[in-house]
Amino acid sequence: MTSAQRRAAFVRARAVLVAAVLGLTVAACGGQATAPADTIRIVLPEEPPTLEACDASLTGTGVVVRSNITEPLAERNPTTGALEPLLATSWTQTTPTSWTFTLREGVLFSDGTPFDAAAAAHSIDRAVNADIDCHIQGYVFNDSLETAAPDPTTLVVTSDTPDPILPLRLSFVEMVHPSTDADGKVREPVGTGPFRIAGWEPGTRLTLERNPGYWGTPPAFARAEYQWRSDSSVRAAMVVNGEADIATGIGPEDGAEELGVSFPNNETTALRLQATEPPLDDIRVRRAIGMVIDRDGIISALFEGAGTPAAQLIPDGVIGYNPDLRPEPFDTARAQALMDEVRADGVDLSAPIRFIVRSGLFPRVSEVTQAIQYQLSQLGLNVQIQMMDSAEGLEYQQRPFPEGTGAYILMIQHGNQAGDAAFTLDQYMLSDGYQSSYGIPDFDAAIAAAEALSGPERHAALAALFAREPEEIDQYAYIAHMRGMLARSPRVHYEPDAATGDEMRLAAMTPA
Amino acid sequence: MHDRPGRTRASAGDTVLTFLRRRAVSAAIPLLVVLLGVFLLARLTGDPTALYLPESASPADRAEFAAANGLDLPVWQQLLDYLAGIVQLDLGTSLRTEEPAAEMVLRAFPVTLSLAAVTMLLAVAGALLIGSWAAYRPNSPADRTSSFLTMTAASVPDFWLAVTGVWLLAVVLGVLPTSGMDNGVLSWVLPVAVLMVRPLGVLTQVVRGAMVSALSAPYVRLARSKGADGRRVVTHHALRNAAAPALTVAGDLAVGLVNGAVIVETIFGWPGIGKLMIDAILQRDFAVLQAAVLLTAVAIFVLNIAIDIGYALLDARVRDVATV
Repeated sequence: MTSAQRRAAFVRARAVLVAAVLGLTVAACGGQATAPADTIRIVLPEEPPTLEACDASLTGTGVVVRSNITEPLAERNPTTGALEPLLATSWTQTTPTSWTFTLREGVLFSDGTPFDAAAAAHSIDRAVNADIDCHIQGYVFNDSLETAAPDPTTLVVTSDTPDPILPLRLSFVEMVHPSTDADGKVREPVGTGPFRIAGWEPGTRLTLERNPGYWGTPPAFARAEYQWRSDSSVRAAMVVNGEADIATGIGPEDGAEELGVSFPNNETTALRLQATEPPLDDIRVRRAIGMVIDRDGIISALFEGAGTPAAQLIPDGVIGYNPDLRPEPFDTARAQALMDEVRADGVDLSAPIRFIVRSGLFPRVSEVTQAIQYQLSQLGLNVQIQMMDSAEGLEYQQRPFPEGTGAYILMIQHGNQAGDAAFTLDQYMLSDGYQSSYGIPDFDAAIAAAEALSGPERHAALAALFAREPEEIDQYAYIAHMRGMLARSPRVHYEPDAATGDEMRLAAMTPA
Repeated sequence: MHDRPGRTRASAGDTVLTFLRRRAVSAAIPLLVVLLGVFLLARLTGDPTALYLPESASPADRAEFAAANGLDLPVWQQLLDYLAGIVQLDLGTSLRTEEPAAEMVLRAFPVTLSLAAVTMLLAVAGALLIGSWAAYRPNSPADRTSSFLTMTAASVPDFWLAVTGVWLLAVVLGVLPTSGMDNGVLSWVLPVAVLMVRPLGVLTQVVRGAMVSALSAPYVRLARSKGADGRRVVTHHALRNAAAPALTVAGDLAVGLVNGAVIVETIFGWPGIGKLMIDAILQRDFAVLQAAVLLTAVAIFVLNIAIDIGYALLDARVRDVATV
């Protein structure tokens, strides 16, 4: 190659390079995907593991499925707390153990099959009575139910024992197509909801489309597209950048700025004290722990004000909430005095106490954990933080608990989706509750008595239990009633509510 | 090197076959160790039952779940079943999605492979360009600047770089998408750039060092003294000698890209093998984890062979050693 040829080749190469850079720049300025006007784009923290309707109480599944693809007989209004008709127009308690539901006429599944009482009975039997291990078992139903469909619009449901809140419990059962496998779970259900599944590219996206035969008002958006990103700052950035319309599970520090919308998410954070293990088996130690948690400091400094100090495990709006309870005042001196008393009685306080926390439980969970560890160390307790992933944490959260573990404190976050304290008490406060470490027979009996009541009496009896528990058992040191945050694009109208974390209704979203 | 008495030099085909056979044998043991290690470690992380069964699951339900998924068998029995499954190309079923694990892994693998391939191609090209340029005028301000930048690049954490990149290029400047794979070539820019930074930094330093040595070698000085053009000396003489050490390091870095891919795929929402592995670990999805590790280990084995072959092509001494 002569020097002239080399020079010509160099000039050509430079021209190609410049063209490539220009092309990239032009593409960068105008090349990003724009949203079709009729599509709402949502970015979630994780891909739903399944869309199986009977697992809709799992947050990752429920947020896509509930009231979008499938619907229940009745649903709880997250603002008023009232149970409102949906696929059932009315219900009545016909015997102490039986309820009769009148079903809505003219409802079709998204494939055109009529919805009737037989389909409803099949859905309930599948979710409650079958052996396919639906996640509402234990959380919502402990007993089996009998179902009968005397005619297409009448459904009779009978429980083993009188259940004054059976319709509320049934609001957790999503109605599925009568052909849905009764002996196995399905990944993609057919329901009666305003949307049906249009496509699921595993790992990439899930698309829903309007159900053309929907019985109710057609939703404003024709399509919904779900994607998932595990990093919260990326989720927020997608909305800021116009790539998504709604991003869930973000924190105040994720950069959504004025697009961030805070809402009460029904979650309450607390420390569960493993009261069967020394030194946590001494109620004075548990009380002292409650006194040295600086709830106001944590909420203002780490939650940036998004939360309120908690004195019980349920927030306002749930039946059984006790408005008279006040959080234990932050009082190090009183707590120290209590600990001195314990020491004087010869109790050994030197044993290590593990502080078990699920990483990613809520934004800034690590910082909150460190703050609490410091506060507990002021009492002279030897507290060691142990961060765990969900699977490992579950071993300590649910029965049967691991044995021979020594003392541990577990950070929990409880959300009562159902709106009745029974769902909280059964799990968290009965002696043998799935997530309860300790209890006493008297209190168990009081829970059973309160849960058998209905109306205002029920509310008062449940509220009294929340006042009594700290006096007699004191299994929990409450931290805060939390608030959630999502990022919302200016092109969308959507007001999140207390149910949004578990059920995000696409029909409530409209173009701005 | 002389032929030994009574032996004839092997043909090129035989040489390659012998080389591959030896490499396969030497790779089989570490591959088996990795498979065993992952199998046993996965089981030490705990029982997946609590994750997949409702809170109310009775001991009978738990036993049934364990039996259905082979978790009730002694570990050695589970291991034998797993190895027998591999022989029949059955890698088990995902507990999480109930899909065949092999299908999930084969769907994810091309995503990671293409990301790694583009990253390494650009990193090698960039390193050769910058390293050669820096070595051509050692200790010049340009050389010192590039050394400083490449050393910094080699030590920046992927996570920080990814999040900062999203903030700066997607949110503040708005010239790139934040994540995902929907925007054609633009979707590749941030993930590739983040993955590329460390290999580019390390490789540039290797190329520069090798080039500095090569450019001061007697044969290069001779070529220069005969009036050879500077650019030609670099590209035709020195670079060939500097390529061998760069290739070795590039191979190690390519293997390390799987680790980098875990972070990058997770942040940018790329459904690759790194993201799949993380999900499988968090969900105690043993079959998927094992399948992902198996495929990755085999891929690394193949990659190492490719590197060895490339190395042998560049250096005749390696070829001969391989067949002796």
